[in-house]
Amino acid sequence: MIKTKNLHKSFGDLEVLKGIDLDVETGEVVVLIGVSGSGKSTLLRCLNFLEMPNEGEITIDGRQVDLKKDDLSNVRAEVGMVFQHFNLFPHKTVLENVTEAPIIVKKMKKERAEKEARVILEKVGLSDKADVYPGKLSGGQKQRVAIARALAMEPKALLFDEPTSALDPELVGEVLQVMQDLANEGMTMVVVTHEMKFAKEVADRIVMLDEGCIIENADPHTFFNHSTNERTRQFLEMVDV
Amino acid sequence: MPEIFTTLYEVFIRTYPGFLKAALITLEITAIALVLGTALGIVFALMKISKSKILQTIANLYITLIRGTPLIVQIMFLYYGITNIVVLSNFWAGAIALGIHNGAYIAEIFRGAIQGIDRGQEEASLAVGMNRRQAMRRIIFPQALRRAIPPLGNQFIITMKDSSLVYVIGVSEMFGLANREAAASFQPFETFLVVGMYYLVLVLIFSALLKWYEKKLDVDSI
Ligand SMILES: Nc1ncnc2c1ncn2[C@@H]1O[C@H](COP(=O)(O)OP(=O)(O)OP(=O)(O)O)[C@@H](O)[C@H]1O
Ligand SMILES: [Mg+2]
Repeated sequence: MIKTKNLHKSFGDLEVLKGIDLDVETGEVVVLIGVSGSGKSTLLRCLNFLEMPNEGEITIDGRQVDLKKDDLSNVRAEVGMVFQHFNLFPHKTVLENVTEAPIIVKKMKKERAEKEARVILEKVGLSDKADVYPGKLSGGQKQRVAIARALAMEPKALLFDEPTSALDPELVGEVLQVMQDLANEGMTMVVVTHEMKFAKEVADRIVMLDEGCIIENADPHTFFNHSTNERTRQFLEMVDV
Repeated sequence: MPEIFTTLYEVFIRTYPGFLKAALITLEITAIALVLGTALGIVFALMKISKSKILQTIANLYITLIRGTPLIVQIMFLYYGITNIVVLSNFWAGAIALGIHNGAYIAEIFRGAIQGIDRGQEEASLAVGMNRRQAMRRIIFPQALRRAIPPLGNQFIITMKDSSLVYVIGVSEMFGLANREAAASFQPFETFLVVGMYYLVLVLIFSALLKWYEKKLDVDSI
C-alpha cells in the first residue's frame, strides 16, 4: 500500500533520512519507534508529502508519486494523518471539522457529508459532541475527532504521529481503543508511538529508526524478545517494557 | 475662569449644527478608507506571504512607500494625481487617499494575523487533501480575521483622527470646518478646543465599542 525506496531527506546540511526502504502492506499496522530526533516524524510527513523528500521513490497504492507532475493534494486525500497536537479547526464545530474536507475536497453534498460524518462520530464514540466546538473537548475527545476527520476522506491508509503523547494518562486508553478498532477493521496504519503495549498487541510489524536509518524491521514478538541489535536493546531498556 | 466657559459655550452652541454634519463626513471618510484599506490590506498581505518573489516585491514596495512618507504628502500627491486623470470630488479623493494609506498598515495587520495562526492548521488542511488556496480560504483566513479585528478597530480610531488631514484638499470634515470657523470667528483657541473634544468623544465611543466587542469575542473564543 505504501512503499518507499531509498528515501532521503535533509534539512539544510542535516541529513535526517538516509535511504529508507519501507514496505507497508494493505491492512498492515506498522509501528515506528526510535529515540527523539531519529527521523520518525520526518518519515511520516514524507509519506504524506508534508515534507518533500530530496531523493528516492514513494509508491502509494501501486502508483509511484511524481513530485513534480502529480497533484499532491490528491495523494494526500488518500492518506490520512493524525497529529500529536490534534490540529482541529477551532472555528468549526466537531461535525464541521469532519465534513469540511468531504465538502470542499470531494465536493460532496452537505447533507450526505453530515450523514456520513455522524456515522463516523458514532464509531469514535462522539455522537453527542457533534455541535460542540473543539475548545470544549478533552484531549482524548479531540484526538478522536481528529481521527474521525481523517476517516471522513475514506483514506487508503492512516498515519499517526504520537497520537497519545499530548494526552493525560487517563485519556490515552480511549484513543488507543479507537485505533485498535480501526486496525481490526483492516485499516492500513503507520503509527509513531511510545506506547509499547499497543506496539506489542496491535502492530503487525515494528520498525525501528536510528539516526535516519531503519535498523530493525520485525514482528513484535521477535522485536521485543529476540532482538540482537545493541541500539534496540538500549531503546527497550529505556522505554522500560 | 468663568469667562472662558461662557465663550466656549457660545462657540459650541453656534457651531454644533455644522460640526454634527462635519462629524458625519469624518465618519464617512473613515469608513470608506477602512473598507478600501481592508480590501487592499488583504490583497497585499496575501501577496507578501505568497511564494512569488514578484508579488512580494510589489507588496513590499507599496508598504515601504506608504509607511515612509507623510500622510499629508500622500493626500496631496493622490489628489493632484487622481484629479488630473479623472473627475473626482475632494471627498472621494481624500477617502481614496486615506484608504490607500491604510492599506499598507492593514496589510501588516493581516500578515501578522495570518502568520500567527499555528502551522498545524495548514498542515491539517493539507493532510485532508485541501490545496493551499482552500486551506487559506476555509481554515486559516477565517481564524486570522478574528485575530485581526482588535487591531483593525485600533486602525479605525487612528484613521478617524488622521482623516483630519484631508482638510488640505478642502474637504469639510470636522477639522476643515474648525479651520474655517476659527479664521472667521477670530476665536481659534475656543474653536480648536471644541473640535478636539468632538474627536475625543468619537474616539472614546469607538474605544468602548471595541472593548465591548473584544470581550464578546473573547467569550466566544474557543
Ligand atoms: N523543518 C525542519 N527544519 C530543520 N530541521 C528539522 C525540521 N524538522 C525536523 N528537523 C530535524 O530533523 C531531525 C529529526 O526530526 P524528527 O522530528 O523527524 O524526529 P522524531 O524522531 O520525530 O523525534 P521526536 O521523537 O522528538 O518527535 C531532528 O534533528 C530535527 O531537529
Ligand atoms: Mg516526532
